[in-house]
Amino acid sequence: MNAPTDRDLILRARRGDAEAYGDLVARHQTSVFNVCYRILHNRADAEDLAQETFIRALDRLHTFDLEREFSPWIRRVAANLCLNHLDAHKPSAALDEERDEDNTQGPGEQVEVKERSEQIRSALASLPSHYRVVVELRHYQELSYDEIASELDIPLSDVKSHLFRARKLLAEKLHAPD
Amino acid sequence: MHLTDHISDVQLNEYLDNEIANRAEIEAHLDSCDECAARLFAFQTLFADLDSLPEVTLSTDLAARFRPRPSLPAQLPRWLTLTASLQAAAALVALIVAIPFFSIMLPQVELPSFTTWLFEIQSLWTSWLNTLSTFQLPITQFPNLATYPVELSTLFIALAIVSIFWLFGNGLLLRNRHS
Repeated sequence: MNAPTDRDLILRARRGDAEAYGDLVARHQTSVFNVCYRILHNRADAEDLAQETFIRALDRLHTFDLEREFSPWIRRVAANLCLNHLDAHKPSAALDEERDEDNTQGPGEQVEVKERSEQIRSALASLPSHYRVVVELRHYQELSYDEIASELDIPLSDVKSHLFRARKLLAEKLHAPD
Repeated sequence: MHLTDHISDVQLNEYLDNEIANRAEIEAHLDSCDECAARLFAFQTLFADLDSLPEVTLSTDLAARFRPRPSLPAQLPRWLTLTASLQAAAALVALIVAIPFFSIMLPQVELPSFTTWLFEIQSLWTSWLNTLSTFQLPITQFPNLATYPVELSTLFIALAIVSIFWLFGNGLLLRNRHS
């Protein structure tokens, strides 16, 4: 039997089927968590915000346009929540030292990949919150400039400048000569 | 844009993001300008770095919170409940009808009355208290270990009371766990 589509699960969840919403969460929880983790760079906060994202989404599920894809929508909700969280909280929480796993390579290469990933995450975490979210929406959610402007309710010129400055800063941190 | 002018970083960003109109013009310049091509390559490397970030796995299952709790043990079907009630009612009627027959057939059995039974419990309780008040540990009388300072029947009653409390307490715990 074919697995139910997101649309089927949303329709069932709208009728109060908690099991269906649980299935929808299980399907998208990793990608939503990764959005939060890329922006917050703190596992505990990222899990809390991912949970919060699904709670908000459940509240707004009746307004969700079924003609659109659920995944981009829920990830944008997550990015917005993270931005609000960063604006509301000073970045005092200790950032995670977690290293990324890649089991497809040998031990030496794995260490290299982990270190590089950690450098990238640290560089992202060092950006101002608005830059971080613009990078997330452009690079990982592949939104156009217009879509980012609309999502964050900022002028198009701000999107361009945020993105450009964010990339400049990232390049300085990641490609600086040792 | 003249081919002799260098492409700005903003334009390079827009070019990589497919957000610029004059792509052909930019590409023509990049073909002929090593400096702009090098800056484009630097941005492309950054993009590749960002794309290379692997996904991190969750340590908890967020979906569990949204799923319904495990349901209580399924209730018996209504017809079975009714049958059980009917059986109980029939057994009660049969007992009432049978009592006179039993009283005729078993005249020799004499059950103690309720007051006798209560009196017996009270005397047992009194003797239990008396025993407790005079109880002392034997010092060197090891040979007398076989003689019990407390009557066995009293111990059984105490054990029964403790068991009743134990069953009642566990019943409450189980009920609270399911609710």
